[in-house]
Amino acid sequence: MSSCSRLEEIRDYAMGELTADARGAVENHTAACDECAAELRSLRLTTTTLRSLPDEEIPQRIAFVSDKVFEPSPVARFFQGFWNSTARLGFASAALLAISITTFALRQPVAAPVTNQPAIATQASLTPDISKQIDVAVARAVAQVHQEDAQLTKAALETAEARHRQEHQALMVAMQESMTVLQKRLSTYTMLASNNMPREAGGQ
Amino acid sequence: MIFRAVEDADLISRARLGDVEAFNALVSRWEKRVFNYLLRLTASREDALDLSQDAFLKAYQNLRKLDDPARFGPWLYRIAHNEAYSHFRRRRPETVLPEIADFERAAAAAAGPAFSPDLSLAVTAALDRLTPEQREAVVLKVYEGFKFEEMAEILDTPVSTIKSRLYSALDVLKGELAPVKAPLNNPRGAR
Repeated sequence: MSSCSRLEEIRDYAMGELTADARGAVENHTAACDECAAELRSLRLTTTTLRSLPDEEIPQRIAFVSDKVFEPSPVARFFQGFWNSTARLGFASAALLAISITTFALRQPVAAPVTNQPAIATQASLTPDISKQIDVAVARAVAQVHQEDAQLTKAALETAEARHRQEHQALMVAMQESMTVLQKRLSTYTMLASNNMPREAGGQ
Repeated sequence: MIFRAVEDADLISRARLGDVEAFNALVSRWEKRVFNYLLRLTASREDALDLSQDAFLKAYQNLRKLDDPARFGPWLYRIAHNEAYSHFRRRRPETVLPEIADFERAAAAAAGPAFSPDLSLAVTAALDRLTPEQREAVVLKVYEGFKFEEMAEILDTPVSTIKSRLYSALDVLKGELAPVKAPLNNPRGAR
């Protein structure tokens, strides 16, 4: 080891910690001081030797943030956002109420001919021909309304079934993703547990 | 290094706004270095990987607390250092000081062709002679290339103490490695 008073400066120089001016001064000094020049060579050789140990490649990528499986899908995000949003739930409730009122209003004409029937019948009793024609017309109208009603019901059922299928599918996707996340976490915990158990057992 | 610092700062700004991909880019940049740092502290690949994951998760969760995005590196290593020492504290006292010889011997067997396995084994054995504090100082300086001020930030220790640990470690290493330095000048020399 050098006994020169500038030893620490030499070491700082070797570690790359000096400013440009200070580096110049050390270089001038080592050109004249054999001890410091030898110390500098020794330090450089030591650090070069240390760096002969190569860095290892990481066995697997850091996964918890970068792994897409930890990000919810757009469908899952929608459902999560939907259930977590009071405004959206309120809007959905209002929409359902509006649909119910509209449906009720649309169904009103179906009942209307029935309520008017006694009045028409009363008038029809005056003239049998007109009464018969009215009966036929009413029967035809009722049949038509029934047919329309059946079509509307069928269409509503199909729409409801389609919506149910979509929701079921979305739910299944969300559940599948949740299962994947859980499986991943479980495998991580299992790996952690299997890593810790031998150490703890060995330590005891 | 300047460009790298600017880019890191940009990624941090984006990550703070919720851009996960920006943080993923930061992870990609730093994961190998952090893993190797923790590997040299813990002497266990499994522990180093787990601690790396924990360190990056904590970094992600606390990104808003990073005052100066240009200091992301030392800040991340500070988290990794804390994770490593929490891990050591959780273990039994006799296992707190990891023996690096075994794992380094295995690493030496897979060392690059530029240096002989014997040299890597000698380095491994020499590092094993250091105290954990000396070894960490050597790892941060020689292998990770941090400045003294950054090391002081990572270890929460004064620069004077850092220098003392490093230079005393290098004195030990110079003595330990003296017999094997010669082949460095002629790696393929007769052995």
